[in-house]
Amino acid sequence: MKTLIKISWRNIWRNRQRSLTMILAITVGLWGGLFAASIATGLMDQRFKTGVEQEFSHIQVHNPEFLRESHPRHGIANWDTLQNELSANDTVVAFSGRTLVSGMIASANMTQGVNLLGVNPQMEAQTSSLKINLKEGEYFKEDMLNPLLLGKSLADQMNVRIGSRLVITFQDLNNELISTSCRVSGIYQTANSAFDQRNIYLLQTDLNNYLGDTTIVTQAAMLLKDHKLSDDFSDSLQKKHPELNIRTWAEVSPQLAFYNEMGMTMFMIILFIILLALAFGLLNTMLMSVFERVKELGMLMSIGMNKKRVFVMILLETIFLSLSGAASGMAASYLTLLSLKDKGINLAPLGAGSLSEFGFEPVVYPQLEVSFFIFLTIMVVAAAILTGIYPALKALRLNPAEAVKAD
Amino acid sequence: MKTVIKTTNLEKVYNSSVAPVKAVNQVNLEFKEGEFTAIVGPSGSGKTTFLNLIGGLDKPTRGNVIIDDTDISSMKESQLFDFRLKHIGFVFQAYNLIPVLTAVENVSFVMLLQNRPKEEMEKRAKEMLEQVGLSDKINVRPNKLSGGQQQRVAVARALASKPDFVLADEPTANLDTESAFNLLDIMSKLNKEENITLIFSTHDQRVIDRARRVITLVDGAVSKDEYFDK
Repeated sequence: MKTLIKISWRNIWRNRQRSLTMILAITVGLWGGLFAASIATGLMDQRFKTGVEQEFSHIQVHNPEFLRESHPRHGIANWDTLQNELSANDTVVAFSGRTLVSGMIASANMTQGVNLLGVNPQMEAQTSSLKINLKEGEYFKEDMLNPLLLGKSLADQMNVRIGSRLVITFQDLNNELISTSCRVSGIYQTANSAFDQRNIYLLQTDLNNYLGDTTIVTQAAMLLKDHKLSDDFSDSLQKKHPELNIRTWAEVSPQLAFYNEMGMTMFMIILFIILLALAFGLLNTMLMSVFERVKELGMLMSIGMNKKRVFVMILLETIFLSLSGAASGMAASYLTLLSLKDKGINLAPLGAGSLSEFGFEPVVYPQLEVSFFIFLTIMVVAAAILTGIYPALKALRLNPAEAVKAD
Repeated sequence: MKTVIKTTNLEKVYNSSVAPVKAVNQVNLEFKEGEFTAIVGPSGSGKTTFLNLIGGLDKPTRGNVIIDDTDISSMKESQLFDFRLKHIGFVFQAYNLIPVLTAVENVSFVMLLQNRPKEEMEKRAKEMLEQVGLSDKINVRPNKLSGGQQQRVAVARALASKPDFVLADEPTANLDTESAFNLLDIMSKLNKEENITLIFSTHDQRVIDRARRVITLVDGAVSKDEYFDK
């Protein structure tokens, strides 16, 4: 076997130019494919992360009636009990009880329909990235009356600054119209401009006071140790609280789940295209290699090298050729990813501004898991073996007596 | 002397269903141990076909090839591979060395396929290269050797594993006179020293002149079988 390995390895370097061209083709193909896959993964992962941190969390709990009517009178009835349970549960990293109301916000020159979210600043800071995303001002300034936080895109549109006065209007628990004056305490910016456009954050105590019940909580959002625990946690919580509607992030945002699945599908499509191109390239190279060596193969079989050994030799050549290309392609990809690990790729000059409409950051950090490299190596070897079978069979069909006299 | 090869009523017919051509026709021959035999005849007389049949590279249409009491005509292909490896050495017209291996690796190759111990292989390969006058070329690849040197490596490879006999199909056809004489001297010496049966197919009078037995084939049949005292 050692000699077969030696011969096979040396054989691929007999036509150095052809082998190097093939290796270069595999390298570039893999690098391109892996780079594209890493960008797709980076985008999807980032979208998932921001989606969870800014909008959906891992688990959301509502009164089922609230989801039908969106009226604050349908709050979570046993919030105190639930709060105690969540605090005692190790799976839950953080949670926040919110009050959600639909309303209007008005500045001197325009009025806009918005979601008003009453939050507990401390709990919210642990559960979502609201505080981190603050670009201007303060996170609920203490000495300010009715401080609010609004998104940058809405602030720009309404032409308001820190300290500007805005009027919010909404219905209280008795369906009476309430209007109150608030001041801009801070301006936040997420990767999703549409989210920034429609969500206004207020102190829960302020909002609940105006609504007429200081204890209202209409939504509980929670972060778990790992998003993969979401389904199990949701099921167990639902069993304990059948009166509540408990949903995972994937149920709250099927779009986010779709992005996640799409990332994997794109992976597979890219991988399939790479392997297909690799297989055809290898097939061509190995067939040429066999046809050029008819006389030599005839000699090998004449002197007693059996078919099994000839078959293994051709397969080894295919594997060595593809693995050489795969190794350099993966090394090039790894180095590229390493160099972009911290700075990422700014897609803004390429018109990535519109991506933020869908919740994608303009700077993407390409990433691939190590397991993908291992998986790809296995797939390349598998593709090489499958591709090498045909040329190897061609070699086996040679008649040694005729082949040895071939021109 | 021991009979190494025996053919009985050996026939090979090509295109048997359309226009049958008897490439080998009723050949009954015996080759003794240590013989130095040239198979001669005009082109198309069946020399190469005969060598292929006794070398187990082709199967006869009729008749038998018996080597050391074993009838190889009824062997399966896989058995023939194994048989060739263990019992027969081959020298080809176009040298046919493995270009990616050095001279010593080429000479060792058959022994390697036979799974001989490494030390034995290396010792024997170096010894053979010394015998063919290439002890200074052991680590040289074939593309750095002349045609005559390559053919000497091929001879060393064929004899290194000490086969029962060596078949050489026109071994001097691609060589200049000096290289051909040199090769023939070496083969003649090895034939005597190693007592290995050598059978050539050839057109080359230089080879015929060295042979102690000359078998002439015409239209696939033996027309003359002569012994010379040399």
